[in-house]
Amino acid sequence: MPSHPLRVAVVCSSNQNRSMEAHNILSKRGFDVRSFGTGSHVKLPGPAPDKPNVYDFKTTYEQMYNDLVRKDKELYTQNGILHMLDRNKRIKSKPERFQNCKDKFDLVITCEERVYDQVLEDLSSREQETLQPVHVINVDIQDNHEEATLGAFLICELCQCIQHTDDMENEIDELLQELEEKSNRPFLHSVCFY
Amino acid sequence: MDRSPEEGETSHMIDMTTSEKVVDLLNQAALIPTDEKLAVLKQVQELIINKDPSLLDNFLDEMIAFQTDKSIEVKKFVIGFIEEACKRDNELLLRLIANLNMLLKDESVNVVKKAILTLTQLYKVTLQWLLRAKGASDMQEACWDMVTQMKEDVLAQLDSENDGVRTHAIKFTEALIISLSARTSDSDIPKRQEGDISLDKVPKDHPYIRYDVLCEEGKSALEKMLKFMVHPAISSINLTTALGSLASIARQRPMFMSEVVQSFETLHANLPPTLAKSQVSSVRKNLKLHLVAVLKHPCSLEYQGQISTLLLDLGMPQSEITRSTPVVREQRKRPRHEQYTEGKKVKMEPTMMEDDEDKEEPASLTAPKPAAVPVVQSAIDVTAEFLRPLLNPQNVANLVLISMVYLPDVMPASFQATYTPVESAGTDAQIKHLARMMATQMTSAGIGPGLEKSKAREDDTCKEEANEEDSVSKDLIIKRKVAKKGQAISVVGGYSENVPTVEIPTPAIVKRLPEPIVPTAQTKMTGATGRKKVFRLSDVVQTLSDAQIETLTSKAIKRILHSEKAIAQSGMSHVRVKLLSRLVTQFDGRMKEDVLAFILEDIRTRSDLAFSLLYQEYNTYLSQLPSGLLESYEHCLYTLLSGLQEKPEQRDGLFTKLVLEAPIITESALEVIRRYCEDESRVYLGMTTLKELIIKRPSRQFQYLHVLLDLSSHEKEKVRTTALSFLKRMYEKDQLRDYIEKFALNYLQLLVHPNPPSLLFGADKDTEVASPWTEETVRQCLFLYLSLLPLNHRLVHELASVYTEAIADIKRSVLRAIEQPIRGMGMNSPELLLLVENCPKGAETLVTRCLHILTDKVPPSPELVERVRDLYHKRVPDNEVIQALPKLIKLNPIVVKEVFNRLLGTQHSEGSSSVSPLTPGDLLIALHNIDSTKCDMKSIIKATNLCFGEKNVYTSEVLAVVMQQLMEHSPLPILLMRTVIQSLTMYPRLGGFVMNILSRLIVKQVWKYPKVWEGFVKCCQRTKPQSYSVLLQLPPAQLTSVFERCPEMRDPLLQHVLSFTPHQQAHIPTSIMTILEANKKSPVKPVEPVVEQEIETLTAPAATVSEMVPTATLKEPEMEVQHEPFQHEPFQHEPVQHEPVQQESFQPEPFQHKPVQHEPVQHKPFEHRPVQQEQVQHEPVPQESFQHEQVQHELLQPETIRHEPVQREAAIMHEEEPMEQEEDFEPVIQEEGVGTVSQVELERDSDTPSLTLRQLTSHQRFLNPNLQTSRSQREMLKPRPPAQRLTAAARTWNDKRTQDKIRVWPQQLIFLRFLVKRFVFVGMSLRK
Repeated sequence: MPSHPLRVAVVCSSNQNRSMEAHNILSKRGFDVRSFGTGSHVKLPGPAPDKPNVYDFKTTYEQMYNDLVRKDKELYTQNGILHMLDRNKRIKSKPERFQNCKDKFDLVITCEERVYDQVLEDLSSREQETLQPVHVINVDIQDNHEEATLGAFLICELCQCIQHTDDMENEIDELLQELEEKSNRPFLHSVCFY
Repeated sequence: MDRSPEEGETSHMIDMTTSEKVVDLLNQAALIPTDEKLAVLKQVQELIINKDPSLLDNFLDEMIAFQTDKSIEVKKFVIGFIEEACKRDNELLLRLIANLNMLLKDESVNVVKKAILTLTQLYKVTLQWLLRAKGASDMQEACWDMVTQMKEDVLAQLDSENDGVRTHAIKFTEALIISLSARTSDSDIPKRQEGDISLDKVPKDHPYIRYDVLCEEGKSALEKMLKFMVHPAISSINLTTALGSLASIARQRPMFMSEVVQSFETLHANLPPTLAKSQVSSVRKNLKLHLVAVLKHPCSLEYQGQISTLLLDLGMPQSEITRSTPVVREQRKRPRHEQYTEGKKVKMEPTMMEDDEDKEEPASLTAPKPAAVPVVQSAIDVTAEFLRPLLNPQNVANLVLISMVYLPDVMPASFQATYTPVESAGTDAQIKHLARMMATQMTSAGIGPGLEKSKAREDDTCKEEANEEDSVSKDLIIKRKVAKKGQAISVVGGYSENVPTVEIPTPAIVKRLPEPIVPTAQTKMTGATGRKKVFRLSDVVQTLSDAQIETLTSKAIKRILHSEKAIAQSGMSHVRVKLLSRLVTQFDGRMKEDVLAFILEDIRTRSDLAFSLLYQEYNTYLSQLPSGLLESYEHCLYTLLSGLQEKPEQRDGLFTKLVLEAPIITESALEVIRRYCEDESRVYLGMTTLKELIIKRPSRQFQYLHVLLDLSSHEKEKVRTTALSFLKRMYEKDQLRDYIEKFALNYLQLLVHPNPPSLLFGADKDTEVASPWTEETVRQCLFLYLSLLPLNHRLVHELASVYTEAIADIKRSVLRAIEQPIRGMGMNSPELLLLVENCPKGAETLVTRCLHILTDKVPPSPELVERVRDLYHKRVPDNEVIQALPKLIKLNPIVVKEVFNRLLGTQHSEGSSSVSPLTPGDLLIALHNIDSTKCDMKSIIKATNLCFGEKNVYTSEVLAVVMQQLMEHSPLPILLMRTVIQSLTMYPRLGGFVMNILSRLIVKQVWKYPKVWEGFVKCCQRTKPQSYSVLLQLPPAQLTSVFERCPEMRDPLLQHVLSFTPHQQAHIPTSIMTILEANKKSPVKPVEPVVEQEIETLTAPAATVSEMVPTATLKEPEMEVQHEPFQHEPFQHEPVQHEPVQQESFQPEPFQHKPVQHEPVQHKPFEHRPVQQEQVQHEPVPQESFQHEQVQHELLQPETIRHEPVQREAAIMHEEEPMEQEEDFEPVIQEEGVGTVSQVELERDSDTPSLTLRQLTSHQRFLNPNLQTSRSQREMLKPRPPAQRLTAAARTWNDKRTQDKIRVWPQQLIFLRFLVKRFVFVGMSLRK
C-alpha cells in the first residue's frame, strides 16, 4: 500500500452527475477525493435538448437548485436533476473546473474520452516543476443517473484496487488490464507530471 | 488567567526562541508515530529553512538523522528536506549529496523515486552552483563527481525492473538532456525554468566540469532515451512518459526535433506488440497530443509534412492539423535565427571565461549540431527518395504477396487500432508517404542507401574526433590527481565508504571520451549490421553428413564421459557435469542413451550427473513452453528410476531422493514407483517415498495417492498390508480423507456386480472378466474399506447397503471378512448401534453377524440390548412367530430349544420387562394346532417335548389350562392325549383333572379320532384304577375297543364293578356288564368292524400307518401281512414328501459326525437294527419307512425326555428302539444327544452367563447359515474347548445341510433365528 492515502480527482464535463456520484461514493469509502468538470460552463438538461440550463462555475449548487425549482419544479423533480443538485450541495458548495485547480493528485479519473483529452491537454500544457507523476485514467460513463451510479462503483473498485497495491506505479498497468477484462470496458490510461 | 493548557503551551512556544522551539520539536519527533512526526518535522523544516535559515546548519545533522527512520514517508520527507536545504544554501550540497546518494539506493522504490525527483532538481542546482563558484575546491569537485555518478546511476535505472522507477528515470533523463544541451532562441522554455542551467551557460574552461563532456553526456542521454522508446517490450506508461519527454525536448531544444519526429514516426509504425488494445489507444492519443505540441512549435516547419501525415494517420482531421500549424512566416525566420544565435553564442563564450584551451571550442561546437541532425534525416530521406520511383504497381503487388507469408495469425492489437483506410491510395502524396514509411523501417533495420551515405560521413567525423584525443588525455592526468582528494561529508556517520565511489566517474569519462561522436543510435547500428551482411558463414563451412555428425558428437560425449577421474582430480567435475547435461539435452540422438547408461553403471557416484541431467531436461522443457514436450525429460527420469528399481540392492535412498527431487513425476515414472512398491523387499521404502510425494506435492497428490490406493488391494499380502497401514495414517489427513474414502467405497460398490469387474484383475488379465466372484476377489474389494472402517464408523452403513444387493457368495465372504474390523469398532460405536437399530431389509444376516462378533467375547452392553429389543419388537409380531413355528421346529432341536427358551422367557425369571410374544400356554397350544400337512409330526412331538422339559414354566396350572383349551378345539388335536399323558406323568396330582378331561372327551366322542382314541385308552390304562369310572362311561362298542387294545384291563374293571354296592351296580348298563363279563368268549369279531370303519374314515394317512406299523414292529411276521394293503395307498408317501430335501442332505452326514460321536459304542447295536427291519419290510428305501415308524412311535411316545428316564414305561411300544434307530440314520438325533448335554449344562449353569454365552455363541455360529464354508475358516473358529463339541456338531450340521437351502428360507425365519440370540442378551443384561 502506498504510504499516503491516494489523492483522487474525478472529472466529468459539468461536475454534476458522474463525477459527483463518484465523489459521493469515494468519500464515503474514505478516499481523499475531489471532483471537477472540464467544460467551459456547467450545463444541466433543460426543457428541450437544445435548451440546456447553462451556468458558470461560480454558481453554487444551491443557486442552481433554486433556479430550477423556480423554472419548473415538476420537470426537474421528475428527471432527477433537483435530487442530484440536492445531493451535490451536501457534498460541496459549487462545481469546480479542473483547469483552474492547481492542487496535485495521484490519480485523475475522467468519465469520458473528451474529458480525458481535455485533462491531458491541460496537464501537459502546464509547466512541469516537481515532476511528480499523476496517472490519468478514463472510464467511459454515459451521462445518466443509472450509468453514473454503476460507473461510480467501478471507479470506486478501481481506486480501491490501486490503493491496495504495494507499488502503484509498478502494478497499475496490469491491474487496469484485469479490470478492463472484468468490467468489459476499455480504459484509457496515461501519465502526466506536475 | 484561565487559559486552556494548549493555549498555555502555545504561548510558551511563542516565548521560546526559534532555536529552542526547533530543539523541542526535534525531541518530540524522535518519539512520536510517523504521522505526527511528519507534521513536526515539516514545522522544523519551515523554521530552519524559511523562518531562520541561520539555524539550518545547526540542525542539519539532526534532521538528516531521520533518513534512517523506518517509515518511508519520513525518508521521503528527508529527501524533500535535502532538496529544500540545498536550494536554500547550495553549500550544503557538499554535505548532503552523499546522503541523497544513499537514499537513491534505498530498498523502497518510493524512496528511490523521490530521490530521483530530487536529483533531477539538484543536478541542475549543483551544476549551476559549481559553475558559479569561484575557485575549485577538492570538496566541490568530489561533489560534482558524485553527482555525475548518481546521474549515471539514474540513467541506468532506465532498465530498472520497476515501472515507476523507470518513469522517474525518464523524467530525469529529459531534464538532463535539456540541461546538457544548449538553449537557443527558438527554445520554448517554460517560465519557471527560465533561470535553469543549460549547456550554453557552461564555460568551456571550468577546471573540472567540461563543456564537451557534458555535451556528450547530454547526447548519450538522448540516445538512451530514443533507444529506450523503441524497445519492443516498453510498458504503456513508460512509452507515454517518453513521448511526453521527447515532445518536451523537441520544443525546448528544437535541434533535436528531427530525432524526435523520426522516433515518433518509427514508433507509430512499430507500436510495441506487448500493448493491449486499450493501451494502444492511450498511446496513440498521447502521440497525437505530443505531435500537436511539437507541431505548434515554430521550428516544426521542416517536419510539418511528416507530422501532419502522422496526425492524419492518427485520425486527426486536416482542419485541426492546419489550426495547430504555426504560421509560415514565423518559421521562415527560424533558420536564420538559429544561425544567428549560434554565432552569437560562440562569440559570447570566450568573453565569459578566461580560456586556456580554446582548441576544444570549434570541435565541440560544430560536432554535435550540424553533424548530428542532418545526417540521420538524410538517411531516411535518401532512402525514401531511392524507394519512391521503385513503388510501381508491379513491385508493390510483389511486396504484398511476399509479405502475406509473414503475416501473423492474429491481427495485433496495435494494427487493429491504428488501421485507417487509405483515402488517397495511388496518389503521389500517398506513394511518397509509403516510401517514407518504408525508409523509416529500413533505416531502423540498418539497410538502405541513405545509411551508407551517412556512414561515409560518420567515418569522416571519426577522423576529426581522433585529433582531439591527445588534448583530452592530457586533461585526464590532472583530473585524476584532484579526484583522489575528493571526500564525502559524513553526517550521520559511516558514509566514508562512499568515498571510493567518487572516483568512479573519472574512469568512466576516460572510457567515454575516446568514443567517436555518434549522431544517432540508428546510424551506429547500421555500420555493424551492414558489414555482417557481407560475411556468409555458409560460404566458409563445409557440411558433414548426418552419420559423421553423429559419430563425432558421440565420440566427443564419450570422451567427456570417460574423463571422469581426470576431471575430478582437477576439481572441476561440476563443470563437466554441467557441460554434459547441457550438451545432452540440447541434442537428440544416441548420446542421451550413452550418458544414461554411463550413469546407471555406477549411479551412486554419478548421481550428481543424473540430477543435473534431469534438471537440464526439465529446464529445456520449460523453455519450450507451451509447445514443449515432456518426452525427453520423461525418458530420462524413467530410465534413471527403472535403472535404480532394477538394481538388486541399494540402501542409500537414491531412488527416494530422485523421486522427491524430480521436478515432475510423469506417468511412466509413477509406474516405476509402483513397481518399486510392489517389490516385497522394498515395499516400505517405496511407499514411504510415495507418501512423501503425496504430502509434498499437493498439486498432483491424488494421482500419487491413487497408486497407493491401488496397491491396497494388491495380491501380495505384504504389499497390501503396508499400503493399508500407510493409507490408514493418511486417512487422518483431511485433504486426503475424501479421496481415500471414495476409493474404498467405489471398490466396495463393485460387490453389487454379478461378476467381478475387470478392474480387479488389472489391465493384463482382461480375459477373466466373466469369471465368478471368488473369496479372493471379494476380499480385494474389501481390504481398504475394512481397514478404514474402525477409523470411520459411519462407513458401516455403506457396507450394509452393498450387502443387501450382493449375491449370496459375496455375502458369505463379507461375513467372514468383517470380524476384525467389527471387533475393532466395538459395541459402543454409535454407528454400529445405529445399524442395528435400522437394520436395512436384507442385511439381517450381516447385523446378526456383527452382533455375534461383538458379543463373542464380551457380554453385550445395555445399549446394544436395548437396540436389539427395539428391533425385535419392531420386526416380529406374535402371529409371525406362530406362522413360523412349523418351519422353526423342523430345525435342529437345539435351535428349537433355544427358541423356545427365549420365547418362553425361561431365562428371565421375575418381573422381566421384556415381554414374550407368546405365553407358554399359547406356545404349546400353537404347537398342537400346527397343520400336520405343514410339518411332520415327529418335529412337533419333539417341540412339545422341549416344552415339557421346562418344568418351571409348564407348571401343572399351565398344563391344566392348556388341556382345558385343547379340549375345546374341534377337531381334537392329534397330540392331545399325548400331552395329557405327559402332563399326568409330570404332575401325578393332576389325576383328578385328567379324569375330568377324559370324561369330557367321551362326551366329545373321542373315538372318532383314532389317534386321540388310542391315547385315551393308553391314558386310561395308566390311570387305573382312577380311570375305571371313566371307562364305565364309555358306550359299549368303545369299551369293547378298549379291551381289544388292552385285554388285561377287563378283569380289573370287572373286579372294580363287582366291588360296587348293588345299588351302584344297578347303574351299570347291562350291555356294559356283558362286555365286562365276556372274558371267556371272543368278542373280537363284533369289535373289529368298528376299528375297520374307523380306519376307512381316516383321512390322514399318517394315522393309518401309525396304527399299523407299531403292530408290525411288535409282531413281525403278522404285520408283514397286514402291512401290504397299506402299501398300495398312495397317501402313504405323503408325510415323507414334506422332508425330501432334508433327508437328502442328511444322508452323507454320518461320516461327518464321527468325530463328534463321543459314544461310539452305543451306536453299534442300533446300527444293526435297520438291517433287520429292512429285511422284514422289504421297503426299497428303508429310511423312508423308518421315517414313518418314527413318526408313529413318537406320536404315541410321550417319554422322550431323556433326563427323566425313570418315567419310561416298557408298556408303551418300542419307545427306545425306534429312537435309537432314528439316531443311526439321522444325525439330527445324534446332535440332539449332544444337544441334550448342552441343554443340561445350560440348565445347570444358567447362573453363569459366560458359559451360557459361550454355548450360545457357538450356537449362534451355526445359526448363521452363511457363516462357514471353508475348512480353514472352521479351524480358525475352533479353539474354544467348553463348547467345542457342540460347535463342531453345529458347524457340520450347518455346513452340509443348510448351506444352500438356507438361502431360500424366508427372511422372517432367519430373523427369528437371530432373535433367539437376542433374547439371551436381554435376559442376561437384565439379570445384571
